[in-house]
Amino acid sequence: MAPRSPNKAKASPSGSQQSEYQAIKQQWEKAKRAAESKNDGTSPIPTGIPDGPPGVTERQRLEKLEKQQSEIDSSRKRAYERKWKWTCGFWVWVLAIHSIAIYLFTSGFLLTRLVLEDKSTCDAPPIDSVVKAPGNTDKGCWHPKTFDRAVVVIIDALRYDFTVPHLEGQPRHAFHDAMPFLYESARDSPQNAFLRPFIADPPTATLQRLKGLTTGTLPTFVDLGSNFAGTAIEEDNLLMQLRDAGKKIAQIGDDTWWSLFPGYFEPNISKAYDSFNVWDLHTVDNGVIDNIFPLLGANSGKGWDLLIGHCLGVDHAGHRYGPDHAAMTGKLQQMDEFVRQLTESIDDKTLLVVMGDHGMDAKGDHGGESDDEVEAALWMYSKKPVFGRTQKDFVTPPPTAKIRPVNQIDLVPTLALLLGIPIPYNNLGKPIEEAFSGPKGNDWQNLHAVSRIAAAGVQRYQDSYFKARGIAPANGAGSPSDLWAKALEVTKSSHQDAYNAFSSFQQETLSVCKSLWARFDLPRMVAGVVLAAIGVVVLVMYSAKDADDDFVVTNDIELDYAEKRLELLSYQTKGKDEEVEPVKDYHMELLRGLWDRRVIFVLLIAGGVSFIRREPKDAAMMTATTTLLIAVLVSVTHSAVTLQQTGRTILNTLPQTLWGWMALVFTVSQSIGFASNSYTVWEDTILQFFTTTFGVLAAISSFRVESRLERTLGIYHSVVFVLLARLASYSKLCREEQMPYCTSTYYASTASSTSAPWQLAIPVVIGLVLPSIIKSFILPTRSWEGLSPVWVQTVFRAGLMIAAVYWVIDAADNGDWVAGRPGAEHLKAIGIYVAQLGLALAFIAGSTAFIWAPPSVNVVSTASTNPPASQQPQARVTILGYGNALGARYLMLPLNILIGLCILTKPMGTGALGLMLWQIMSLAEVVDILGIKSEAIAPVMLAMLGNFYFFRTGHQATLASIQWDSAFVALRTLRYPWSPLAVTLNTYGAQILAAACVPLVTCLWKVGPKQKGVLETASRGLGLFVAYYAVEALATMSWAGHLRRHLMLYRVFSPRFMMAATALLVVDVLGIGIAMLGLRSNTLAVGEVFGWAE
Amino acid sequence: MSTAVTKGQSASPGEAKSKPTLHPVAMADTPAAQAVSIGRPALLLGALYVRMPALINDPVAALNSALPFVVLVQIAYAAICLPIAGAPTVAKSTKKPRAGEKKRTESTAPALFKASLPQSSQSFLALILTVITVPAVHILFVLFGAPLLDHVARTLLCAAHFSILAAFPLFYTRGVDAQAMLALAGAYAPLDEVSGGVLGAVLGAWLGAVPIPLDWDREWQKWPITIVVGMYLGYAVLSKGVGTLFYGKRLAKAPGEGNE
Repeated sequence: MAPRSPNKAKASPSGSQQSEYQAIKQQWEKAKRAAESKNDGTSPIPTGIPDGPPGVTERQRLEKLEKQQSEIDSSRKRAYERKWKWTCGFWVWVLAIHSIAIYLFTSGFLLTRLVLEDKSTCDAPPIDSVVKAPGNTDKGCWHPKTFDRAVVVIIDALRYDFTVPHLEGQPRHAFHDAMPFLYESARDSPQNAFLRPFIADPPTATLQRLKGLTTGTLPTFVDLGSNFAGTAIEEDNLLMQLRDAGKKIAQIGDDTWWSLFPGYFEPNISKAYDSFNVWDLHTVDNGVIDNIFPLLGANSGKGWDLLIGHCLGVDHAGHRYGPDHAAMTGKLQQMDEFVRQLTESIDDKTLLVVMGDHGMDAKGDHGGESDDEVEAALWMYSKKPVFGRTQKDFVTPPPTAKIRPVNQIDLVPTLALLLGIPIPYNNLGKPIEEAFSGPKGNDWQNLHAVSRIAAAGVQRYQDSYFKARGIAPANGAGSPSDLWAKALEVTKSSHQDAYNAFSSFQQETLSVCKSLWARFDLPRMVAGVVLAAIGVVVLVMYSAKDADDDFVVTNDIELDYAEKRLELLSYQTKGKDEEVEPVKDYHMELLRGLWDRRVIFVLLIAGGVSFIRREPKDAAMMTATTTLLIAVLVSVTHSAVTLQQTGRTILNTLPQTLWGWMALVFTVSQSIGFASNSYTVWEDTILQFFTTTFGVLAAISSFRVESRLERTLGIYHSVVFVLLARLASYSKLCREEQMPYCTSTYYASTASSTSAPWQLAIPVVIGLVLPSIIKSFILPTRSWEGLSPVWVQTVFRAGLMIAAVYWVIDAADNGDWVAGRPGAEHLKAIGIYVAQLGLALAFIAGSTAFIWAPPSVNVVSTASTNPPASQQPQARVTILGYGNALGARYLMLPLNILIGLCILTKPMGTGALGLMLWQIMSLAEVVDILGIKSEAIAPVMLAMLGNFYFFRTGHQATLASIQWDSAFVALRTLRYPWSPLAVTLNTYGAQILAAACVPLVTCLWKVGPKQKGVLETASRGLGLFVAYYAVEALATMSWAGHLRRHLMLYRVFSPRFMMAATALLVVDVLGIGIAMLGLRSNTLAVGEVFGWAE
Repeated sequence: MSTAVTKGQSASPGEAKSKPTLHPVAMADTPAAQAVSIGRPALLLGALYVRMPALINDPVAALNSALPFVVLVQIAYAAICLPIAGAPTVAKSTKKPRAGEKKRTESTAPALFKASLPQSSQSFLALILTVITVPAVHILFVLFGAPLLDHVARTLLCAAHFSILAAFPLFYTRGVDAQAMLALAGAYAPLDEVSGGVLGAVLGAWLGAVPIPLDWDREWQKWPITIVVGMYLGYAVLSKGVGTLFYGKRLAKAPGEGNE
């Protein structure tokens, strides 16, 4: 809602608000005149205004004064508008720096891949087969099948060198020769078994590996699909193909499978075990061993076609003790025995696969991409002789993982073809040679057939992927498309050549995809972190106050009045000289680096060079990014130097007081904590701890306030502040990692995303109570005037009630409360209209009213009843609400925002946000009483409250906690940009509300209309507020980059970075936007009535 | 500090205008007192160290069984080292009153705490006051994030240990002197062994919360072991340290003395 200039409104006054506005102004002028004429001669304030030339009447003199006053005012107003524009310019520039830093880091860190929803089907192979394909799942879809069933045992973190004999001359470790069976069986009976190194694609975390092992593709952090809120795999995969073919799947062990494949597993025979209890080496393994053998026996009835066992003991032994430990030896020996027994238990038609999903590093951890972490082992076994070797040296398994490795994704086409199901659509792997070369190792026709069908699938996937992404694939010599064409040309007579050609096509495609999806771009990440760090330094330098920045609130009407007279006097003596407006603006100076000739020169040259050389798109992007980075750096450096020169030095940013140190300690300790997954997981509790700490220290400081009333109020509001935080902490949505120490209360139950009936009462209570609480804050400042009573008591309450009504309708709709009764089918539509009405009230009517509202003051002019004897009776002018003229009016803005947020937030969240506003008002009071408005702690505490209530409104730093359904509160279908905006307001509502309150707390509350330096102080407050989020973004960015090999990267650190980055941008755009616009229209409105402060 | 907050609210604040100077608590100057003053922190920390396995094993039982011992240590400490509230020793150490300042140290002590009272009844009264603060400290723990309904016994015992460490010497030496309580609540009371102990216990308990969220799955991360350990460490170190190094200094200026 862009504020329209009140000037325009004056030209066409409309509505009662406008006239009320004028009325107050006239009253104020009249009272002023009255006071002036009465005071003449007897005024206690030394006026110093020279008497007019003789012969000029009193009336003329007053008119002249008024005219001069209006000239001063209009010049000041122009100056203010200019200053405001440049301040906004500065904030846009800050936004640009944050965006570029986040873009750079993200483009190097979060690699994204599009998930295609296409599925392979049995009757539509990608290419006609060389051998006659049966075309049904009983005999094989695209290729004749070899096995009826498969038992797949995953030994988590089974590194390849755990399975091969100790090499002469190498140091000997505890894990050597503890699990010899795989190696020996492959060597002694090559037709029944083979063992090969099995290379994982990073990230080497189990969840990502399972995705790779079932879909045949390379997982990235963000798989852009239709729904990335859940973890369930939606891409075509082995299990989905089996299920669609009517096969039964059973799983025993690690429960990660269950979140990836919900509803896939046969309920009676499957058994899930908790996967993250790394201190427990045996529960999962014993569970797998105990539960798997009964399913293998001849009289088990075979209720499965694919049986998956997932053992975690080796992995946990690695995490807990490291690989070189007796516990590892024990685990491997147990696994050796387990596999031996398995080979004895299966029948002829069953394939047995034993594999590791990844390896482990020297310390036993994994997640990254080092050799030890990616080198797992793959072993396949069949009772009947099936496997072959194309060369005789291949019989003995490779001594190290560097020789003849296969990719983990190769398992997907291999298993699919062996079991006779279609290869999943997104597969990039190729069939493993040993499984298809026949017992003699010379069945080239078969190898040609399987590699051809797999390669055709890869080619089909690549085509659709590039089409969906809108990129043209490379087509030079040696590119995948070139190799594909060549492979097709190889005559069918030479099966071996054809096999080799298809294999090299597959290899090249894989390497293209790898470079596209699975590599961190370190230089970009570092550039992003450096830029973010510089941005934080500049922001803190900008926001630190120096000696000249004392924001002294006087609120003395007599002093203001005297000052006004002095101004008039100096205006008269100096005449128009005073009016020469300063050309230079502080914020303009800061931004001057942007149009530095050198920057423009460099940009032009680089752009020109890249244009002339007609560089390919990638290189041009690279050049563009580099030049942009240089330009930004020059501009930032310029600002930093300017700040340094104008006295805002780096040294100046060091805290001077307890409050400054508190802000620093809170921010920095939290940022350091983001290096630990525990502190990231428990951030909500930590924020409550810090908030309470501030409240307690504020109470202690309040004890030092001299005035008894103020002291009591200070302690009271501090205690309320602490109590509210604790009360709000009962609204929570736990993340998985907080279990079992946390109980969710946000929804009716842990398995639903709807509210319990009793929760529907919360918005009603908020609607009834909150307006009265707000009134209790306004009333003592005597600002319960102007539009305030109507707005708070009626409109605000009505808005909150509309929100309450909406959520009742929503619950009725969800719970089918009125099912069968007339009108039930219209319930959803009614709900949408109610929500739209509420949003219109909050944002359209609210903003309009906020822009036109007169200040919440009232001018009362009474005759002094008891004049001192020495003086003649004079009029007493009382301006009710003068001392809070700026604050009381501005308060309307957060109230409007709260209405909108409550409609978009679930009932429990409405309660939390109501408490938040109350807490913010208490904070404003405490900060005012303690005189720490301009201390760093005020905006930092607001920022922490913003994050604290982010967690209290049912969110967590996980993708799964995003409340997508908020997009459909006021809309039936997805509509841009409204749906994303609704989700943003739902997600970051608390931060936006906090940002809107920054001017209120840091400079406006209980401040009179003639206060100087309001814009500067508010902007500095916003600077510190944003700095908190910028520091969080910088910290999470650095830690996520540094811990990119950490086990918890994709569960904890990356999501937290994404939350910090988006929160920073949202605060930059929406928060600062709302606060700056609100500040402007507030100052304009108050300035119109009371004249302009400097 | 935190005890003082809750305490201070109920205490009616004294008139700000007439300000008799608040003196730091002076230790008794006997060899026995000096020995106890040094030996007590060592004794408390030693006992904590010895009982650590029991504490980790069963916090409630260990805290419960330790309570009488700590009470006895504190009573002995108070009896040997500390001056009784309103005792003339405070008045004696008064330097020359500044111009216009009334010497009214004696009269600020409430009638309950007459210097003539025997030490035992003084200890008893202070102990009763200490017991009264325990629920307040408990609530404060809850406000900082301790579970409200679970582990009530643990939190309560932790609060009891906090009170007996920090609050008991305070009541013993200051009684219910409103002005002293106000000064302590506002952190502008002069530093000495007693207020240093309060400061140490608060800081230690606050820092004790730091290791709780870590996912190390250690037994000692159980609530409230880290708090208790932090509290004892902070109390032992800072009561002696502050009492020796910063005796008579103040953390903040009293109201009316200008800004911090």
